[in-house]
Amino acid sequence: MTELILQALYSGLLQGGSYALIALGLALVFGTMKVINLAHGELVLLAAYIAYAVESGLGWGPVLAIPVALVVVCIAAVSVYLIVSRIKKDREINSLILTYGIGVILTNVILLVWHADVRSTSSTWLQEAFVVGPLFSMRSELIFFVVSIVLMAALWWWLSKSWYGRAVRAVSSNRDAAKLMGVDPGRTELVSFIVAGVLASFAGVALFSYGVIQPAYGGALTVKAFIITVLAGVGSIPGVLLGAVLLGVAEALTVTLASSALQELAGMTLFLLVLLVMPNGLFGAARRRG
Amino acid sequence: MKTTFKRLALAALVSAACIGAANAEEIKVGAELPLTGSLARVGAGMQEGIMVAQEVFNKTNGKHTIKVITIDDESAPAKAIAAVEKLASDGVVAITGGYGSNNISPASDAANKLGLVYITSGGVDDSLVAAGRKNFFRINNSAGYEKALVGLLQDVNAKSVSIVYSTKDATSGLAKDVEKALAAKGVKVAMHSFDPAITDFKPIINKVKLQDKSEVIAMVGYENDYVGILRAARVLKPSVKAMVGVWSLATPKMAADFPDLMPHVFGTALLPFPAEFKTADGKAFADAYKTLYKKEPDYLGQFGYVQSMLLFEAIARAADKGTLKKGGVADELRKTDKETLIGRVQFGANGDNPNFVHRMGQHQDKKIVIVWPKESATGKIAYPATPW
Repeated sequence: MTELILQALYSGLLQGGSYALIALGLALVFGTMKVINLAHGELVLLAAYIAYAVESGLGWGPVLAIPVALVVVCIAAVSVYLIVSRIKKDREINSLILTYGIGVILTNVILLVWHADVRSTSSTWLQEAFVVGPLFSMRSELIFFVVSIVLMAALWWWLSKSWYGRAVRAVSSNRDAAKLMGVDPGRTELVSFIVAGVLASFAGVALFSYGVIQPAYGGALTVKAFIITVLAGVGSIPGVLLGAVLLGVAEALTVTLASSALQELAGMTLFLLVLLVMPNGLFGAARRRG
Repeated sequence: MKTTFKRLALAALVSAACIGAANAEEIKVGAELPLTGSLARVGAGMQEGIMVAQEVFNKTNGKHTIKVITIDDESAPAKAIAAVEKLASDGVVAITGGYGSNNISPASDAANKLGLVYITSGGVDDSLVAAGRKNFFRINNSAGYEKALVGLLQDVNAKSVSIVYSTKDATSGLAKDVEKALAAKGVKVAMHSFDPAITDFKPIINKVKLQDKSEVIAMVGYENDYVGILRAARVLKPSVKAMVGVWSLATPKMAADFPDLMPHVFGTALLPFPAEFKTADGKAFADAYKTLYKKEPDYLGQFGYVQSMLLFEAIARAADKGTLKKGGVADELRKTDKETLIGRVQFGANGDNPNFVHRMGQHQDKKIVIVWPKESATGKIAYPATPW
């Protein structure tokens, strides 16, 4: 039983890392613009398909697809921003409908270009087992877990130390006050979308490297990212990591100790319990107290 | 000027009458299919078969012409109902298609209420035929998959089996039927259901490895699930003797797309790969398929072709008897008794095909070899053997 639980904790931790990478971009845009980008999952999926295209077309490994994914996904993210920024009234509600529509369009573009077949990396090196004592994982899972941590640290550093990072936080905190302080909210929001695109690119390539992709998968990714964002507390980067790892571990333990059929239910129960006790999310409440 | 106008009007009337006469021979059939959404891949595969059936029927029948009108149900039950209703308003005489028992159930209900025949190979859940729909027909069923899976496991003398299955209606129904059948034969069975949304199968496979210690892992899910399960098994390497699955697994596409995961994996397969068609019907299907789609035919196309050809032939017979709009299509389908590309097809009172038995194939050297039943085998079984 100990071996089972240890493996569940390890698998949950790695799964949490990948969830966090997917959720970060959504959390950033949500924090800055108060826009829930329902097309975020499709941006992640677009990066995954670019990794597939690079691997199947050029024979390169998925990691080498990252520069291509960065360019394409960031252009797509900027396009989403340009559309969303044109909303003049009721931005929260209208952006929900608009980004949902963009997500549907992106899904169908992916379907048209790459068809409905199930895709995944053919790199045997990335899929091979990495064994530490009684713990097993795919090499790709471990690599992208580390990448996820590094990106989160970089994002945290950027938000706290750089001028644009501080501008993002200022706009997130009070858009009008930030404007009075010389921050251009439009440009700051654009930067947020570009950073979200960068994060989505890494998340997509990671997803392709250890998972399975299909055109209809984007919606499920957005829902998972949204749950983590709310669980974390809006605007909290450490909260995203903690929320994602909690979700991953809760799911893996449910599979091990109960049934895998209950995995999604366990995730949602955790989500509701946290919100019941801490309505602002894990780190939202802590920040307020602080 | 008046004369010219009269001539033009007369010409237009004659043209309209001619077009009407030409259309009178054309019979519309609806195809309700998931071409987008989570079932897009299987829906597109079935559509290929339906279009091949239209092509072959129109070339060989001579008297009647079938025109298939396709509507995408977007893999959603509500859209499937709307598609059936739209097709009915377009004047179709019957519907072929449907994928996923969850979509087929409401769609065939809607067709039943509209008095339209609904024929499919995309739903194996037993509740579909237990609901008492008069106009529902299907050519394959859960029992046929169960016979093949249990037959293979008996042939290899498996003493213990872990069944890893999706909680969807069709997959959980089949898994539970297989569990009962194996338990009745004295095989130790462990059941592991999974939510269709999960992507990391390592915790489940770890349970199989450390707790069940079974000889065989039987997978009842879909392509994405198989890839996830096989990947997890490749990482954890449980000491099983075989990986066995059902639909969408022993296919040339899976061999081509996942060459490292598929070697020695078993799955239901209608034909070996490379495909061999020995009958005239089989050759007509294969030739038309290759002409239309420039690739080797797969099992989804084969199922879509068979269900549609049986429907088109029933429509033609009903049209000849003048009963096309008086329930004749359903009557003619009930009289069907034909050897097809998927074996003998008859329809019982509930619309199910009692003769359906699948075959089991195994991935061997980038080929699919039929290994069960023995009389249909095209090669020797490799057992014990796993992909890792």
